[in-house]
Amino acid sequence: MKSPELTDLQVAFHDHLLNLPSAIAHEVADGGRISVDHRLHIYHNAYRVRLLENLQDAYEKTWAYLGDETFESSALAFIEDNPPKHRNLRWHGAEFPHWLVNRFPQDRDIAELALIDWQLRLAFDGPNASPVQPAELAGLAAEDWAGVGFQFVPTLFIAPVHFNSVAIWHALDQEQAPPAAGSLPDPTWLLIWRKGWQPHFRTIQAAEHAALMQLQGGASFAQVCADLGEEFSDQEAASVAAESLRTWLQDEMLVGLTGTSA
Amino acid sequence: MPFNTPSAAIKKESPGFGLGLRPVHYPDFLDQPQTVDWLEIISENYMVPGGKPLAMLDAILERYPVAMHGVSLSIGSTDGLDTHYLAELKALAKHVQPMWISDHLCWTGVQGRNAHDLLPLPYSEEALRLVVRHVNQVQDTLGRRILLENVSSYLNYRSSEMSEWEFLRQVAEQADCLLLLDVNNIYVSGINHGFDPITFLDHLPVDRVQQIHLAGHSDHGDYIVDTHDHPVAEAVWDLYRYTCTRFGDVATMIERDDDIPELVILIAELDQARAIAAETLGHGMQEVKEAVL
Repeated sequence: MKSPELTDLQVAFHDHLLNLPSAIAHEVADGGRISVDHRLHIYHNAYRVRLLENLQDAYEKTWAYLGDETFESSALAFIEDNPPKHRNLRWHGAEFPHWLVNRFPQDRDIAELALIDWQLRLAFDGPNASPVQPAELAGLAAEDWAGVGFQFVPTLFIAPVHFNSVAIWHALDQEQAPPAAGSLPDPTWLLIWRKGWQPHFRTIQAAEHAALMQLQGGASFAQVCADLGEEFSDQEAASVAAESLRTWLQDEMLVGLTGTSA
Repeated sequence: MPFNTPSAAIKKESPGFGLGLRPVHYPDFLDQPQTVDWLEIISENYMVPGGKPLAMLDAILERYPVAMHGVSLSIGSTDGLDTHYLAELKALAKHVQPMWISDHLCWTGVQGRNAHDLLPLPYSEEALRLVVRHVNQVQDTLGRRILLENVSSYLNYRSSEMSEWEFLRQVAEQADCLLLLDVNNIYVSGINHGFDPITFLDHLPVDRVQQIHLAGHSDHGDYIVDTHDHPVAEAVWDLYRYTCTRFGDVATMIERDDDIPELVILIAELDQARAIAAETLGHGMQEVKEAVL
């Protein structure tokens, strides 16, 4: 019998791993203490175990929330739906949060929790940047305040959240029973970024979100303050702006100043 | 393209006894000196934009010689090499300035799919030509010889035309590359396929074995799985003893990837490797062969 071309052999082997029709068993030498089917099963099983362990590692809190059995059955179904294509294993699982939306359409808190897990991991080894020091802002000339804008840390991730997934994450982190899942009463956004070597996250409300969006779009801080003034009283606007800026500085979310003469 | 060196030596002098660097041991290696001569990093773990992994790596590089060990080269895939991955590997090598760079003699996927497993090749002339072509391409890109490691395997193909050791030897000599000999993998595959590990070792070129891996496995009775979650097995120590006799002073390290113990335990295990290597230097090959067999 003519040997198959190497490509055909590899395709048949990989098809077997993916549960696709495959004639690979005809190409495996028999003999020895275990059968051809058993030999193939070792690879079939190892493929799933490795990918499952990778998802357990990347989605630690989601795993704790769903429990071993539900997480494993979901992860294995995800693995069947999403054969890895990336060279680096760490990227397998990037689509897991989105996939969970369809897996648990009535429990969207699960997908949100998974998104937190994934984005924390991305922030962990995302690009480095040096934070702006308070003295740099303090040293700005009065005329610079009219035009100054901010560059934010490159690991910054912002997305709307609709459920109490952050509270659930914190409870799981403390190894406590998570609160019952529920919708958030007000529009809320999740911020994730890295401070030092440690990923951080918190939720923000509409005013801070609007300010961040404007600043990320290139607006000056003065413009943001002026726009806040249209929504709030001047005093409230100044207070919201000052409080946000102080928090961003402390949280090392700012990494550059724009629009200054220096 | 052969990598001509002015001296007759193809491989570098052994730096001694090392360990695979795992994140759980970062503090141990950074807080105080350890009796470990060098460390091996998993290349892919540091192909990231920034953050703690790269900061830890830089601190390690100030303290230890480092070898780079990859799992994603897929040198035997008929898809061809991934040039983006190769560029990332080259960039990391430029940063690390490693003693050497290794990966596995296997394939990890085909048709753009990736199994993230070290899948066995048929030991055929066609596979040999493909691997030699790919090794040449990698060595030209990196500007240095690479090391290829024998993987543990659980099946053989009907289309194999030679033994694994002959295939390994042919790859090393035709592509002018070096070998990373995983003694545990030789033992595991020997049990799974019913070959004699001594025959395997006896057929490999001494001047091309640059590094040795030792690791633990899981014994399932009828077969053995290479799991890296146990201490090195007694039978593998015996095989290492023979390996030392045949190949002499070769950089040796222990790999542990699961159920990772405290560093002190791994260092004690590494000391066992040191002791065996030291003992063996004074022994004749026949004497050790008799003790092993």
